[in-house]
Amino acid sequence: MRYSSIVQRLVYRYALLTRLAHWFGAIAVAVLISSGLQIFNAAPYLDAADRSTPARRVLSIGSPADGVGQLTLFGHTFTTTGFLGWGSDGVGGETARAFPGWLTIPAYQDLADGRRWHLFFAWVASLAWLAWLVSSAIKGNLAEMVLRPSDLPKLLPMQAYYLRLRREPPPHGTYNPLQKAAYTFVLFVLAPLIVLTGLALSPGIDAIAHPLTVLFGGRQFARLWHFLGMLLFVGFALVHIFQVATQGFFNQMRSMISGWYRLRDHESVGP
Amino acid sequence: MKRRLFLASSIAAALGGCAPIGTALNDNPGFHHLLGLEGALDAAILGNSAGLARQYSVADISPHFPIDSLPTPTSSTYEALLANGFRSYALAISGAVERPMRIPLARLAGMAQQTQITRHDCVEGWSAIGAWTGVPLRDVLRLAMPHRDARYVVFRCMDRDDQGTPYYESLDMAQAYHPQTLLALQLNGRPIRPDHGAPVRLRVPTQLGYKSAKWVAEIQVVGSFAHLYGGKGGYWEDQGYEWYAGI
Repeated sequence: MRYSSIVQRLVYRYALLTRLAHWFGAIAVAVLISSGLQIFNAAPYLDAADRSTPARRVLSIGSPADGVGQLTLFGHTFTTTGFLGWGSDGVGGETARAFPGWLTIPAYQDLADGRRWHLFFAWVASLAWLAWLVSSAIKGNLAEMVLRPSDLPKLLPMQAYYLRLRREPPPHGTYNPLQKAAYTFVLFVLAPLIVLTGLALSPGIDAIAHPLTVLFGGRQFARLWHFLGMLLFVGFALVHIFQVATQGFFNQMRSMISGWYRLRDHESVGP
Repeated sequence: MKRRLFLASSIAAALGGCAPIGTALNDNPGFHHLLGLEGALDAAILGNSAGLARQYSVADISPHFPIDSLPTPTSSTYEALLANGFRSYALAISGAVERPMRIPLARLAGMAQQTQITRHDCVEGWSAIGAWTGVPLRDVLRLAMPHRDARYVVFRCMDRDDQGTPYYESLDMAQAYHPQTLLALQLNGRPIRPDHGAPVRLRVPTQLGYKSAKWVAEIQVVGSFAHLYGGKGGYWEDQGYEWYAGI
């Protein structure tokens, strides 16, 4: 009897295409971040301006002397030796370098190859996103994921549940209100912004679409937004991995690999 | 607790594994070639776009225009040109053209000039705005009349790296005939300084800075650049950068 009730609560949550898009996207984003840091290393500063303008430098990473690494943020300098500015050269030694070798693809400093990785996996990530979006839209699965005004009052109670200030989460469908907020922001705001700010960096794209580059404040500004978008994505990924690890790791992983998810007591099938 | 430790170490291992796996794949010739196909895709989509680089106003000009190239040539030929104020300089046009020619600097300066205030986007990530004045490359090519089957224009330059390898670049015919592709003689109203590429520098504002070759000595019209140096169509291309530099 108990066995059958457990079986009944297994639901096929993620279609094959969704799972493929998730894992292709996850690998692509990891590659994009580390190859992006490799590219950043070639000009390790960010200016809030169209053209490079030292007076409007928001962030810079450098090495004022051998063995010393520094991060300067809004004019405040922090010593970051061993990590930022001075660290692993990717081939066994240490060198003056913004992001260290263990964070970049390839590990050694190589702008040309970093660009190859970045531009190739930008297509992988974009196509994974597009394939997921089209298939979800056709199947009508988007509605259960997109944040609606009716979800807004449930956001704080859900956060209270995560903070263990509340015994039960507010009633919700496949995704809880905080999940909806996070997925809606990342998939429909952040991801498109990262793609568009990346395109705005290219002189060839700028030549056929000035308004795009102008919209972000120019090329160096677009580079700043592109970098900030990456940081926000890293923030999302850390929370996402933490949640997967703590909210039933094996159930979560199985569902994104095989599609089958075991509903917990407070969860229901539909929205 | 043990499980959390296991999870944390798995995540750390996954993150730490990223760079070594990526580096190993990067050093694999087949995978490296696969990654490079993206550049060909960009060239196919955007390579011959007729879009115009954005024009800026005088107020937008960078007060300091960075120098980020091989060192200014130190050859005796360049020293001699520098010594006589480039009066003995002549731009050679050769290869698949009806009329091979040498155009003295004074004649280039006498042709119809274009001034563009455009942004120079370096592949490294910085950019600078300058006012470039010179002769549209297409006007010079029309004088020499390239053969119908010509495909590329190669720019041979006077600078060399520390191995003695000379700088060169190439554009296809559509890029060479783009209205903003310029043989620049002046930067910000003055003759181009030696360290900015005097006396003649190519200016391709729709692509990354490494296409804008400095110290151009000769323009060669060819059907293919496969036989030149590394065969990739340019000094930086031979070192792994994309031939189409619009992205």
